[in-house]
Amino acid sequence: MTAIQQAGVLGTRSLREALRTPEALAPTLFIPMFFLVVNLGQAGKIFPSSSTSFLHGQNYAAFQLPASLLLAASFGTAALYMVEDIEGGYFDKLRAAPVSRSALVIGRLLAEAAKSVVITAVLVLLALPFGVSVASGPLGLVLLLVLTSLWAVIYAGFMQLIALKTRSAAATNSGGLVFFPLLFLTPNFVPRELLTRPMEIAASVNPVTYVMEALRSLILQDVQWATVGRGFGVVAVLGVVMVALNLRVIRHYD
Amino acid sequence: MSLAVQAQRLTKQYRGRSGTVDAVRGVDLSVPAGQVFGFLGPNGAGKSTTVRMLTTLLTITSGTARVAGVDVAADPDAARRRIGVALQEAGLDPRQTGRELLVLQGRLFGGSRSRAAGRAQELLELVDLVDAGDRRIKGYSGGMKRRLDLASALVHEPEVLFLDEPTTGLDPASRITVWDELRRINARGTTIFLTTQYLEEADQLCDRIAIIDGGVIVREGTPQALKDELRERRGLATDPTLDEVFLDATGRKRERVAGEVQEVLA
Repeated sequence: MTAIQQAGVLGTRSLREALRTPEALAPTLFIPMFFLVVNLGQAGKIFPSSSTSFLHGQNYAAFQLPASLLLAASFGTAALYMVEDIEGGYFDKLRAAPVSRSALVIGRLLAEAAKSVVITAVLVLLALPFGVSVASGPLGLVLLLVLTSLWAVIYAGFMQLIALKTRSAAATNSGGLVFFPLLFLTPNFVPRELLTRPMEIAASVNPVTYVMEALRSLILQDVQWATVGRGFGVVAVLGVVMVALNLRVIRHYD
Repeated sequence: MSLAVQAQRLTKQYRGRSGTVDAVRGVDLSVPAGQVFGFLGPNGAGKSTTVRMLTTLLTITSGTARVAGVDVAADPDAARRRIGVALQEAGLDPRQTGRELLVLQGRLFGGSRSRAAGRAQELLELVDLVDAGDRRIKGYSGGMKRRLDLASALVHEPEVLFLDEPTTGLDPASRITVWDELRRINARGTTIFLTTQYLEEADQLCDRIAIIDGGVIVREGTPQALKDELRERRGLATDPTLDEVFLDATGRKRERVAGEVQEVLA
């Protein structure tokens, strides 16, 4: 069995695990929807679609949806299950099998990508009653699903690093909170050019900004290849770094 | 005589903030194939660390270890294909069913889906878990989990089975069931390397034992030979128990205090 097949077998197990704990999936839908509704309620009237050019004719919910999608993709549940395996001893059982070390970490990341596609699709569906549509059409929707799930892989990879290094559920859980400052240092409420200068600088060095702008462009406009390309470029670089770090840590795991 | 486990000057050091800790200090072991070998020692003596090195779960600081003829540091995957491992805590995924866990384990050892399913059924029968096989492990009793853990270590018919305290926390009936399983497994030719804190268990099951204390082997031999040696050395009229051999080897004392209560003093 090749490492890819092993990762597939382990990924399937991870998906089964997720399906058997729907209570762990519920917050990944509820909390992002909560943010969407609250942000729309608080700022929707400030930015009417008729007179707000950056909404491209849609309402403010469409502008806010990428933040909710990224939040949903940043729960890193793969890492939380991994730390459970570590604490319960099952991870050692897997390590004692002739399984490629890379399959042990990549299997979970593959499952996280698959879960994220489903969760993102559900969130887009739930956003439809708020008047949101994906202006870039079916191709844009596919790009949006792929980009969001790649972000989910990166964030789960980051949290897996914490899980592998600390072997602690508490520390891994705390890793999830890191996303909040990252989320608020983005053009979350208005486009980057409308931010104050310090916030604009902070947003410009924050990689989440480029993923958010790519997702936003896919929802509000036809496919803007330059913006979308920057988003994919960011996840490609971060993805390579995160997978490489995961492989390095698992190979030296004692 | 072929050796199932062979360790030479096996050493493990941990480096921490408070300096270097020598967990295992130059252990030599030779376990002939087909035996049940007991590895005894007090808490923190280095039993689990030694087992984790022999099973590729921990890097070796210095020395060498060969299991089923394979150098565990040079070719860990080849070693993993020849060994089965059941560690101190029954390492199981509570969300899977017993059958799913065994099938997954079979697949990871390279079996096809149908072969892994067939082997899972055989193992569920072996450890008497057929009725519970399609239930989630979360609902299993401690004894059932131990038996399933044992079964999962046997998926690929290993040459050497490492068991780290396989009966700790089990009630007497479950413990005897596990002993029976181990005898059956050993009768099929599998070498068993067993760590335990229960000296009665070692006496019942093991062909040979080694006692480790402070990271070094302090006694090694058959249970009877170790008892004979202590009897002769101390000039005892009757055979000592393995408990007494253990206490003698590790420098612990058993003293009678407060009537019938006995306490082991370090």
